[in-house]
Amino acid sequence: MLETVMEFLNGPLGRECFRLNRVLFLVFLALATLAVWRAPAPRPGKVGFGLLRGLTTAALLAILIYQATWQISGFLKPEFVHFLRRYNKRPGAAAMQVMRGPLLDRRGHVLAAPVPGDVWGRRYPLGEAGVHPLGYYHSQFGITAVERVCDPELSGYSVERREGFPGATLFAVRAEEGRAVTLTLDARLQARAYDLLAGRKGAVIVMRPRSGDLLALVSSPGFNPGDPGPASRDEENAPVFNRATQGRYPPGSVFKILVAAAALDKGLAPVYACPAMGYIAGPNTPPIRDSEYYAYARRGAVWPGWGRLNLEKALVHSSNVYFAQLGVACGAEVFNAMMARAQINAPLVYLQAASGELRSAAGSAPTVTQPRKLAMLAIGQGDLLVTPLHVACFTAAVAADGVMPRPRLRTDEAPGRMATLCSPEAAGRLTGMLRAAVRNGTGRAAEIPGLEVCGKTGTAQAAGGDDHAWFTCFAPRRKPRLVVTVLVERGGFGARSALPAARALLEEAVRLGLARPEGEGES
Amino acid sequence: MSARRTRVVSPVGAVAGLFLLSFLAVLSASLSVLGIKLGNAPVMPWEQLIPLGIYAVGVPAVLVWMRVNGWKGDAGLAGAVFLLCGLGVTVQFRMGSFSRGLADPMALAPLPLGLLAFAAGVALTAKRRGAWLARTGWAAYLAALGVLAALLLLGRKYRGGLYLAGNINPTELVKPLLVLFLASFLSRRQKAFSETQVGIPVPSLDALLVLIFLWAGPVLLTLAVKDLGLLLLLNAILVVMLFAVARSTGYLALGLAAVTAAGYGVRFLSPHVRARFDVWLNPFEDPTGKGWQILQALAAMYSGGWWGAGLGSGVPQTVPIVTSDFVYAALAEEIGLAGCALLLAVYAVLFSRGFRCAGAARTPFERLLGVGMTGALAMQTILNVAGVTKALPMTGITLPLISHGGSSLITTLLMAGLVTGLSDRR
Repeated sequence: MLETVMEFLNGPLGRECFRLNRVLFLVFLALATLAVWRAPAPRPGKVGFGLLRGLTTAALLAILIYQATWQISGFLKPEFVHFLRRYNKRPGAAAMQVMRGPLLDRRGHVLAAPVPGDVWGRRYPLGEAGVHPLGYYHSQFGITAVERVCDPELSGYSVERREGFPGATLFAVRAEEGRAVTLTLDARLQARAYDLLAGRKGAVIVMRPRSGDLLALVSSPGFNPGDPGPASRDEENAPVFNRATQGRYPPGSVFKILVAAAALDKGLAPVYACPAMGYIAGPNTPPIRDSEYYAYARRGAVWPGWGRLNLEKALVHSSNVYFAQLGVACGAEVFNAMMARAQINAPLVYLQAASGELRSAAGSAPTVTQPRKLAMLAIGQGDLLVTPLHVACFTAAVAADGVMPRPRLRTDEAPGRMATLCSPEAAGRLTGMLRAAVRNGTGRAAEIPGLEVCGKTGTAQAAGGDDHAWFTCFAPRRKPRLVVTVLVERGGFGARSALPAARALLEEAVRLGLARPEGEGES
Repeated sequence: MSARRTRVVSPVGAVAGLFLLSFLAVLSASLSVLGIKLGNAPVMPWEQLIPLGIYAVGVPAVLVWMRVNGWKGDAGLAGAVFLLCGLGVTVQFRMGSFSRGLADPMALAPLPLGLLAFAAGVALTAKRRGAWLARTGWAAYLAALGVLAALLLLGRKYRGGLYLAGNINPTELVKPLLVLFLASFLSRRQKAFSETQVGIPVPSLDALLVLIFLWAGPVLLTLAVKDLGLLLLLNAILVVMLFAVARSTGYLALGLAAVTAAGYGVRFLSPHVRARFDVWLNPFEDPTGKGWQILQALAAMYSGGWWGAGLGSGVPQTVPIVTSDFVYAALAEEIGLAGCALLLAVYAVLFSRGFRCAGAARTPFERLLGVGMTGALAMQTILNVAGVTKALPMTGITLPLISHGGSSLITTLLMAGLVTGLSDRR
């Protein structure tokens, strides 16, 4: 019975019925509307509220006219036509005819692939681990991150920035095949890095120090790119937020790398007395102390202090007392100049495409004049905020003879440099000191035999909760191949919660042949 | 001629005639949708047809009940309500809102409950019984506060708003409750609020202070619940009712200025509202992100053109939350600008007749009640349709009688019932 009905519906006669029915519906609706309008009403009273009736009707009419400017004459709006051409996936529309190109990692492995027969389908083998750098392509939630800025290539359009082209070109332009876009990411490292964060809020960046290639760009928690709905409503964990590039955090002790670079570049490497009572930068300022002071005090013991420290020892012990004094000794001018060179107050562009770019949030480093504030900023506190990506970049500068690379996410972009932070000699001396910080300092647990890891821990105080945990490092010492930066939000001690992830990642990278222990040579 | 006809045809009979025409439109639209559903999957979706059945049986039942009670009100008003209600059922059937059938009673229950609420509304105010409701003003005020407070304490977050278990949005109830309160409060202080000097309303200070003090309660609670759409709606209702009590256009002008200023102010306070303003001003700034929803809605309309794709033949699924807030975009795609013009005309008739019935009411309280209920529905329609067409920023308000949403449908039918009852004043 049902089969007969369906046969009829799908036949030529059935289609005529459909067409007739569509007209019938509008006719019945028009008749009903007319009848409702003309229907009898009781006698009107003395108050008619003519103004309210007029205003309501006028408002509805005005909306209808405005609606017509989209519904009927929308083709007169060039930006709207542009949008329709690219994202209107209704049957017969231009965008429907394109098979979207895949996203590939540096070895050609698929990061995002189209689903044949489903214009909005998209397969993401990395799942939630890769959603932050890659973005999503979703019929209801839109298009984000790499999927968004590389959309013209992926969907086979060349981007025209012509203003006011006539609407007729909407159908004149034929869509080509979507092209593939190759990224610098390494799918294996990306997945491993995400697993290592194990659901904690944080970020991981793995980068090549000279080219700025981003091998992993991880933000945790992630979310399912196939259904961004629940994530977009989760305001508490904000999984949609890319912590690696948009999160602004106080850097704490990892910032000492930049301060040391500034001092070494000026030929400054003084020896300071670092007493347990700490350093007082000015009148009415609380003393800046080392964490050991508090650790001893909690146990009821009295800490004797470090005594006299040089720059290397100060980095090894991560001494706040030393760096506060160093910051003041450098002076505001040197400090501000370093902030300008490192472009802390500017966003980092990590992908450029014809239809836009991906950039990190700008950090903030206030311009200072008072020694009191300088002392706080020199230990990475005060009003200082940076993104994890920026920390990775200045770590890379130390590994790359003082030259800060421009981070890069696409292989077909030429590698670029952002700035020279310090002389190669200064960078070399700083490398030795960071090596010491891992060999026998706060970063001891990151020591991997033969790899000669150089790095710095950070434990940054932040308002309203536990400290943020940092670890940033590069390896191997002599020919650095990898920079790894890990941030764990509210993770407490850097050495305890951020460092193990960085160490495991370095080991994984060695296993994958992305970095070789020294002495084995490079291919 | 129409005056002569009113004596011949009883009002209920006229409504029945209107319903028959409405039902023909609903039937032809449903058949289209059914044909397309069968084309996709050759299984008769019996359970999805239940709401249409309820509509076909429930409305005549309500009419019989009105006939028995001797209702003699505005036939056009009731006819418009039933027509819109039928279109709503059809659209939700088309969008697959009933696709889970009996397994999802939350989707099926609102229509019968709404028709009951409509009948109850008619019963409460018909034959000049409505004046009695003035005594419930304070109770309504406290109930409104209670609903908001309960939501604040027990609600859980969903899509940026607070909802009770089962995604019931009880704030819908706040609207009729506060209209009831305002009607009762303002009708007793008619003199105090109708003083004007050179067109500018100068209410007595005492009455104004009391009103501000009382109004601050729901306003602050609504702010705490973060339902800015409701906040806007409540204040618009207040303005319309102040205008109705004083009949001074000064209130409308002041209200419009205040709403604009408040909207501008909130823009700086809440990043959420600011984002909506920015999208409204320039959706092409971030077309694939923040502007996506509204641009997809406009793309749906564009593909609809003058006559539409036909119900069931469009692709409105690409518009986010298309069954509730953006249902108008789906309709525009499938019934075209022509269908939209008819739909808005039906709304215009509903509100126009609602205001006229309110004006003809015998007591000031009933007049205010009618203006408040009609004004609330009109405001809601204007804000929703304007938001979806990008004429105004999105406010997250549903389209009365059409949008998917149980509490919204039931409350809207209750409010429409109260006005329909008011229109019977013999």
